[in-house]
Amino acid sequence: MDEKKKVILRLENICQSYVVQNGVKDAVENVSLEIYDNEFLVILGPGHCGKTVLMNMIAGLEKPVGGKIFLDGEEIHGSDRRIGMVFQSMNLMPWRTVMGNVEFGLELAGVKKAERRAVAQKYIDLVGLTGFENSYPHELSGGMKQRVGIARAYTNNPQILLMDEPFGALDAQTRYAMEEEVLRIWEQEKRTIIFVTNNIEEAVYLADRIVLLSNCPATVKQVYDLSGLPKPRNMTDPAFLKIRSEVSANTDLAL
Amino acid sequence: MKKNNEMLSAAEIREKRLGVLYKILPVISVLLLVALWLAASSSGTGFPSPIQVWDRTVQLFVKPVKKLSLIGHVGVSLRRIGLALLFDWTFGIAFGVLIGWFPRAKAFFGPLFNAFRAIPPLAWIPLITLWFGIGEFPKVLIVIFGSLASIVVNVQAGMSNVEKMYLDVGTVFNATPRQRLLKIAFPSALDAIFAGVRTSTSAAWMVVLAAEMLGANAGVGFLISRGMDSLDMPLVLTGMVAIGVVGAILAIVTQFAERMICPWTRRKKSY
Ligand SMILES: Nc1ncnc2c1ncn2[C@@H]1O[C@H](COP(=O)(O)OP(=O)(O)OP(=O)(O)O)[C@@H](O)[C@H]1O
Ligand SMILES: [Mg+2]
Repeated sequence: MDEKKKVILRLENICQSYVVQNGVKDAVENVSLEIYDNEFLVILGPGHCGKTVLMNMIAGLEKPVGGKIFLDGEEIHGSDRRIGMVFQSMNLMPWRTVMGNVEFGLELAGVKKAERRAVAQKYIDLVGLTGFENSYPHELSGGMKQRVGIARAYTNNPQILLMDEPFGALDAQTRYAMEEEVLRIWEQEKRTIIFVTNNIEEAVYLADRIVLLSNCPATVKQVYDLSGLPKPRNMTDPAFLKIRSEVSANTDLAL
Repeated sequence: MKKNNEMLSAAEIREKRLGVLYKILPVISVLLLVALWLAASSSGTGFPSPIQVWDRTVQLFVKPVKKLSLIGHVGVSLRRIGLALLFDWTFGIAFGVLIGWFPRAKAFFGPLFNAFRAIPPLAWIPLITLWFGIGEFPKVLIVIFGSLASIVVNVQAGMSNVEKMYLDVGTVFNATPRQRLLKIAFPSALDAIFAGVRTSTSAAWMVVLAAEMLGANAGVGFLISRGMDSLDMPLVLTGMVAIGVVGAILAIVTQFAERMICPWTRRKKSY
């Protein structure tokens, strides 16, 4: 095995279920995965299958009822500074400006003002929000807000970046632009990215590997290796369309 | 480019027109009130006309009551609520944060606080007079009793309804409990806290006047009870107008302070 394939994150039999009115609801069942350093892994699953639940467990926002998570070979319990997250609902703080939101993680980590400003500015520039540092979130469009969310996650320099359907709420045009943007940023600032989506085209466009999840409760249905398809990809390329229809045929319909 | 300019100026015209409209509307309502007042006082029931009230107000500056002009009496009342609000906005906010953020503190203090809230401030007057006699301190205390609950309730509501999504951001960044409180929960509750600041200010202004009417020798409330005792209706109305004007100014000042301190709550104008 070459060094490019170093495992950075390993999920071992992750399960999650909730007590609900009429019994117990399983959301994630026995998910085991190995995620390699610096890869762009896309987790593709139908709506409500348990994708957010899975991300929340990796980020430490909820504890799995069963299974273990290993980061760099060590088991982790709860949140870890080496894992960052871009939220599905953006979660920007309305009382902070763009700069205030982006530097939030460093502020919590106790980094001095001048230093964290410089780092935050770098990522604000990287996501293309130069000039909007002093705007408040309510003054931004949906796509701009999600850029702030991405910059905020990068600023803390995590090894692994979880992106939970970051573009789900955007219109198609903005979505294409943001997908290109995310690839550009990923090429420029190599990290391990775990990107969640329910959009097959988006998955095939972005992924080094696609992990296809089943309907709720989420289990790993299949893993596709797309490293043979060079990036940037063309959505009308026959090879692209071939893998796209292959994945599509295998995907469960959302309930 | 030219077209763009034209569009911009159309938008500016709309903005200006709206601005003028919003300035005129309150003036019209005040004029209407004065007209109604004139009509009501012309029927000869002893209800003083605006002119009489104006004369009485001017006279109050020439011949002060208890050595204080109208401004002086307003000042005395304002000082009382100022001291009370100082306490509300420190202790009251701290207590609201305590019972809003820490469920155990809420379980412990909640029932007592709810019982305290139910007692009208004026009901405390006998006990407070018994303990502290008559003077400045007992009056300030009554104002505190009458305005504390409104800030505590608002702060508590804000602190116990902090959105989970903001706290999740803190969790991902490994925030300490202290950071969760000071950097996430407290700022997210700031608009609720300001609602508390506004309601406590107006509550304090109401209570101080009631307390002054029951026994004081200065303050706007005292002016009104003096007017009532000496059958001086214009004086009563002077007091009432002063209360209204000062109350409105207080509301504007707190609103302005909120806009300065919480600029993100400044929403776009709706047309
Ligand atoms: N705290 C909870 N209590 C009970 N059920 C939950 C809880 N969290 C999630 N679920 C359930 O688990 C399932 C998966 O939810 P999840 O939010 O992970 O879906 P998702 O795949 O992210 O969907 P979407 O594409 O809409 O974001 C849903 O059926 C949901 O109702
Ligand atoms: Mg989701």
